[in-house]
Amino acid sequence: MNEYLRRQIVQMVMQGKDGHIPSAFSIVEILNVLYGQHLQFDSKNPDWSHRDYFILSKGHGCLALYAVLQKHGFITEEVISMFCRPGGVLGEHPDCTKVPGIEASTGSLGHGLPFAVGIAQGLRMRGMDNRVFVLVGDGECHEGTVWEAANVGTNLELGRLCVIVDWNGSGATLMPHDDLPAKWQAFGWDTTIVDGHSEKELDAAIKNIQFPVVGVPTAIIAKTVKGKGVAMLQGHGKWHHRIPNEDEFNIIMEALS
Amino acid sequence: MNAIRQQFADTMLSIGKDDPDLVVLVGDISHGILQPFANACPGRYFNVGICEPTIVSMAAGLSKVGFHPVVHTIAPFIIERSYEQIKLDFCYQRLGGNLVTVGAAFDYGNLGCTHHCYGDFALVKALPDTQITFPASIVEFDALFRQAYRNDFLTLFRIPGYEHDIQFNVVDIQFGSAIKVADGHNLTFIVTGPELSSALAARDALRAFGWDIEVVYIHTIRPLDTEMIIASVQKTRRVLVIEEHMRSGGLGDDVIRATRGIPDIQYLSLSIPDQFVTGYGTWEDHCRDLGFTQEGIVECVTTYCGSGNDIEQPKWEAAVSYFHGQLPGLNVQEYGCR
Repeated sequence: MNEYLRRQIVQMVMQGKDGHIPSAFSIVEILNVLYGQHLQFDSKNPDWSHRDYFILSKGHGCLALYAVLQKHGFITEEVISMFCRPGGVLGEHPDCTKVPGIEASTGSLGHGLPFAVGIAQGLRMRGMDNRVFVLVGDGECHEGTVWEAANVGTNLELGRLCVIVDWNGSGATLMPHDDLPAKWQAFGWDTTIVDGHSEKELDAAIKNIQFPVVGVPTAIIAKTVKGKGVAMLQGHGKWHHRIPNEDEFNIIMEALS
Repeated sequence: MNAIRQQFADTMLSIGKDDPDLVVLVGDISHGILQPFANACPGRYFNVGICEPTIVSMAAGLSKVGFHPVVHTIAPFIIERSYEQIKLDFCYQRLGGNLVTVGAAFDYGNLGCTHHCYGDFALVKALPDTQITFPASIVEFDALFRQAYRNDFLTLFRIPGYEHDIQFNVVDIQFGSAIKVADGHNLTFIVTGPELSSALAARDALRAFGWDIEVVYIHTIRPLDTEMIIASVQKTRRVLVIEEHMRSGGLGDDVIRATRGIPDIQYLSLSIPDQFVTGYGTWEDHCRDLGFTQEGIVECVTTYCGSGNDIEQPKWEAAVSYFHGQLPGLNVQEYGCR
């Protein structure tokens, strides 16, 4: 588990006095593995034509993305320090019109995957070999457009498209019939279940993908814990969009030390 | 087959042969007429399926990597069902693209409310950096599409089910510019869509009532040629806007906004009331019920403007609707915005 990135997330929330900590905590390892070991990018040239595309479709997990983008040099500590503050470019949802390295402005759920389908198809038409990754939430999988796009992705045989589902149980709090692996399989995606907090398992699952130019797209169902890393934050309760007070901040930072 | 819809397919073929970035995505309509494009431009035609919001988002993704996407299906399924995808995936992300609709307003008269769409101008205008055209002849569609399809804005091309019968020269079709079809001095018709034919016929008939009517034709709703509108209304001080669109948010609202600095003008709107069109019938039937015919326009002018030979100082403003056989006088609404 990555304590460093989680501490950064909490510090951003304290400075900006806003943010979704648990939603970000559940995807820290996913992003850390993607950016650290798999995505091709050039942070000094974010529009590099050979880059792999990553779209955070569950936009309210953006704090984790900001921390990872800073780690890899897309944005500075000064930019991070302005989270949710007047004059800053980092809000509670990622914005591609403001922030280098962010490919899509998301927040309203169900947009990232169909947008990524277009990108993946377009890259293939251009003869490019870029890969396209999309991170969706399990609650987001309630949106019809996720399944429309899943259907289109299969039929277009977008083998270089990979969806990672943050299966942190949010969706099941509303719709308990939550067999996401079966659903993705039923839509024709090559589906794998991993521990979404095990960088080793995530790394192996991504390494295992063949990424054929024409072929079956991949769904990695990452079992995660919302608020992972701090007992007080874990689960689906009041911490979804709560800002810690000073005592709570100390407890959180102690747990992440 | 609707001639403008066929022209759409012909234009796609013609441009697609030269521009390798033109991509066409349809929601299972016009499949047959687009086969020449599909054959001539392999890999750039997608009959995606019955999933319009996803088609719009996918098109935005294609735009993200440099293509000029064209999304084509029935108006309500693009404009209304997929509105948030247009707003966020195209407009907010500043990605260019094209929406080519058929079945706007009540063109699909017998299919009922699910297949009507009379608020599209208003909805698209509510999104920043959008462009709207209503090409009601084949030459207009071809010219406007060529001029605007790759200018990095999101552009709506509303293809009507019927053409007007005026033959424009292609050089007269300029994106963003109105066309003065007839000169006049005491009343201006500002008209968009196939109703241009009815408007010109009504103009002739209204000469007998003393009206010398200037006709300004609008094929580009946004950006709107306010200069020509203002110049005409400044001269005539009376304006009737004729449009197959809901009264709220249509061309008429833009005309009011453009001319608000001109003192003592009379404004009249012949449009679709802010209600659902619930009756059945052909496009012509609906036009008759709503007053979009020569007779309806003449009746509208004579009822609300009287005679051009005996013009009083302007004192009124009103929007009139002919709806399901109601007498026009029973359905007058004050605009209250001047």
